[in-house]
Amino acid sequence: MFLQLTLSGVSQGAIYALIALSLTVVYRSTTIVSFGHGDFVMAGAFLTYVLVVAIGIAFLPASLIAIVAMFLLGVAFSRGLIGPIRGGPHVGLALMSISFGFTLRGIARTVWGREVLPMPRVFDIDPIFIGSVVITGDALFIISIVAVLLVVFFTVLHFTDIGKMVQAVYQSERGARLIGIDVERFHNFSWGLGAALGAVAGVLIAPISLLHPDLGASFLIKGFAAMTLGGFGSLAGAVLGGLLLGVAEQYSGAYIDTTLIDITAYLLIIAVLLIRPRGLFGRKVVVKV
Amino acid sequence: MTSLLKVEGLSVHFSGLKALDDVSFELEAGQVRAVIGPNGAGKTTLFNAISGYARPTAGSVLLEDTEIVHCSPHLIAEKGLRRTFQNGGLFAALTVLENVMTGLHTQTPGTFFDVLLGRRKAVEAEIEIREKARDLLKLMSMDHMADTPAGDLSGGQQRIVEIVRTVASEPPVLLLDEPAVGLSPVARQQMMEIIKRLSGEKGVGILLIEHAVELVMAAADRILVMAAGARISEGTPEEIRSDKAVLEAYLGHA
Amino acid sequence: MQTSTGTLSKRRRIFWLVPLIALALPLLTNPYTQFIANAMLIYTLVTLGFSVVIGNLGQLAFANTAFFGIGAYASAIASTNLGLPWLATVPLAGLAGAFGGFLASAAALRGIRLYYLAIVTMAFGELMRWFYTHTGVLTGGTDGLPVSRERDFGLALTSDTVQFYVFLIITCLLVAGTVNLLRSRIGRAIIAVRENEIATASLGIPTSQIIVTAFMWSGFIVGIAGAMFALHTGRVFPESFGLTQLIVNFAMVLVGGLGSVAGAVLGAVALTALPEYVRAFPGMEEIFFGVIVMVVLLVMPKGLASLLARVSPIFQQRYHRD
Ligand SMILES: Nc1ncnc2c1ncn2[C@@H]1O[C@H](COP(=O)(O)OP(=O)(O)OP(=O)(O)O)[C@@H](O)[C@H]1O
Ligand SMILES: [Mg+2]
Repeated sequence: MFLQLTLSGVSQGAIYALIALSLTVVYRSTTIVSFGHGDFVMAGAFLTYVLVVAIGIAFLPASLIAIVAMFLLGVAFSRGLIGPIRGGPHVGLALMSISFGFTLRGIARTVWGREVLPMPRVFDIDPIFIGSVVITGDALFIISIVAVLLVVFFTVLHFTDIGKMVQAVYQSERGARLIGIDVERFHNFSWGLGAALGAVAGVLIAPISLLHPDLGASFLIKGFAAMTLGGFGSLAGAVLGGLLLGVAEQYSGAYIDTTLIDITAYLLIIAVLLIRPRGLFGRKVVVKV
Repeated sequence: MTSLLKVEGLSVHFSGLKALDDVSFELEAGQVRAVIGPNGAGKTTLFNAISGYARPTAGSVLLEDTEIVHCSPHLIAEKGLRRTFQNGGLFAALTVLENVMTGLHTQTPGTFFDVLLGRRKAVEAEIEIREKARDLLKLMSMDHMADTPAGDLSGGQQRIVEIVRTVASEPPVLLLDEPAVGLSPVARQQMMEIIKRLSGEKGVGILLIEHAVELVMAAADRILVMAAGARISEGTPEEIRSDKAVLEAYLGHA
Repeated sequence: MQTSTGTLSKRRRIFWLVPLIALALPLLTNPYTQFIANAMLIYTLVTLGFSVVIGNLGQLAFANTAFFGIGAYASAIASTNLGLPWLATVPLAGLAGAFGGFLASAAALRGIRLYYLAIVTMAFGELMRWFYTHTGVLTGGTDGLPVSRERDFGLALTSDTVQFYVFLIITCLLVAGTVNLLRSRIGRAIIAVRENEIATASLGIPTSQIIVTAFMWSGFIVGIAGAMFALHTGRVFPESFGLTQLIVNFAMVLVGGLGSVAGAVLGAVALTALPEYVRAFPGMEEIFFGVIVMVVLLVMPKGLASLLARVSPIFQQRYHRD
């Protein structure tokens, strides 16, 4: 029972980890929190759905197209809407991302109405039995895709020249500018990457859950909870926070009350911020007089 | 005669770094005491520790014989010790007049409900401090700027308005953190005049951080020299001028 | 100089013309437009309360929707479960909202600011919504909770016209109170905290108390707006207080102009009326609000109030300067 719960927690948490990571990618490079990110996830899932169901493309190419499209949308958002107000107050930046997401949601609703859409199953991987633990095909699929993605992501970040450049910008934007890095382009790229990673999460949930235009909101909050738990701005923290949140939801649902699954994330956010605001890996912020 | 401000064995350690180490001195009414020392000497930290912004690891601060070392900044300010900030602390979006009025906040009568319900008491108090703030600006010949947002002032004007705001409530003790930094030579001279006037005419006890040695020598009654968190010398300007240890430590770092 | 501020405050009296003209409004409306007009009054308060916290105090707190819901449910619970007359539920809702404001300010006082505050207050709002859904005994769960408009002190709130006059009085009182606060030393201290919290404390101003005051006043007026909302719709549902409500409120604050009282009124009136035209099509309302906020952010970041400020200095607002 305990192992089984942990496993489904990890599988669910892998999605949260991905969303938290995509939020962190944007936050680390631009210091903006993308409040519309849940809708990027939703848009990724919907695009995949349209391509598969309405146009009839196979799942794999469809999802690739959706991810690339979301990357481009992220870049366009950064250039057209965030760029002009970048120096302005935080309220404006937060609002810009909220309203963009809100618009995406509206578009999804205009096209699909108020229905809830199930996507036909695209693959059937047989479950694996290890002792009394069942690993479902879906869990296997999600965990392995996310694992591969994370390995690629962190390898690129730590062992390639591009990764070193990214880290340099994280360290000091001014310094990066001095050595000739185009910081604006880097911001645009980060929004693109963030949107694309969010879309991957959308693609992963599309075949296994019911799709509706509002699905983004809850994922956004889960992403925030994971980020907060792991420590705002820490990439590894975001991943770990996501996994922990997934597992925590399963435990609280099974051992306390199933309705608690929905609010584990909220309670976690409030608890972490009140007890240890910097989370597990975040840096302490010092205000100097 | 007991002194206005008595600092004893004050220390602030930041995880190993002795930003301020065992500093003691006294300040009397009408006295200007300069605090000098190279960058990073701990001068601002001393101000922060006295005014409640940094938690001292040891020591005591007596303001008119009351221990204030563990009070919060706003309580210390209310007790009559006010300060300015090295980087400037004006409220850019408020007008010059409103900035000075915030300096009179604690002296404005009227509770939350008086204000909310627009009771006469609150309305009159508001008019009164508005006039008072205007008069204070007039004293410094800044009244023509009263309705300008503070953020639109020049650096020098901002420094002056910040001082007007800080002394508006007539605190007996004033801490000025590099009030003349970035000012033109003429404006610096004016600033020193203002400082002398405050101590001479109003009897304010003033602690003054200032890098320009010639100004310090002219304005201060006594000087405290710091380096690496510690006090290395103390005395009248003449004594400091001839102190070998000061020259060495100061010029060695600067 | 002296005279300029004197005449300014005299000129401000013309603002009382607005509610005076509004008195005649029910003569011009049909039941549908009257219903919308009542909603405008509700949203005026919601927007104003939100604006005090994010505009004047400068805190990125999204708990506004939570205060709105708390007020609405407080009113409905007092009405249905306690059997109180509707008029008595209104101040109760205000107090409940103020308590919500107190909780939100506790987070800000713990040093949780900026995005952290946005996230924690968002979580607070969603938690409240979960609470409405899952404590059916108290809140009616997803079926909602009715609020009685019949019980009265000789005044039934069933007619929209009567409702309008009652709402108009409440709104005017609260707007006037807010103006009094913002133009006082408390209002100056609120802006001072936004501009430089450290320097504010150095003037002897208890910054924590100022933050709590701003949040609680915001909670109070939005809580009362919540009660008005409950009375307006007759039944409250958890879904009314979700993220959609949040962005609608946000849009109103922004379109009107952050931190401006006149802006709050304008934003609420404009954005309550306009979307009525698109409400029939699913999704159009969201696109409408989303696009409008984005456009305002890009071309008129200080909102409609900045247009008014060009006409007369009485509309001058004290928001972030560029
Ligand atoms: N909050 C803090 N945390 C850690 N270290 C600090 C903190 N505040 C100051 N310091 C350190 O304490 C030392 C003294 O700093 P302080 O600002 O007091 O110097 P100062 O004499 O005012 O210098 P300056 O002339 O440049 O203003 C410096 O090394 C500084 O980095
Ligand atoms: Mg200093």
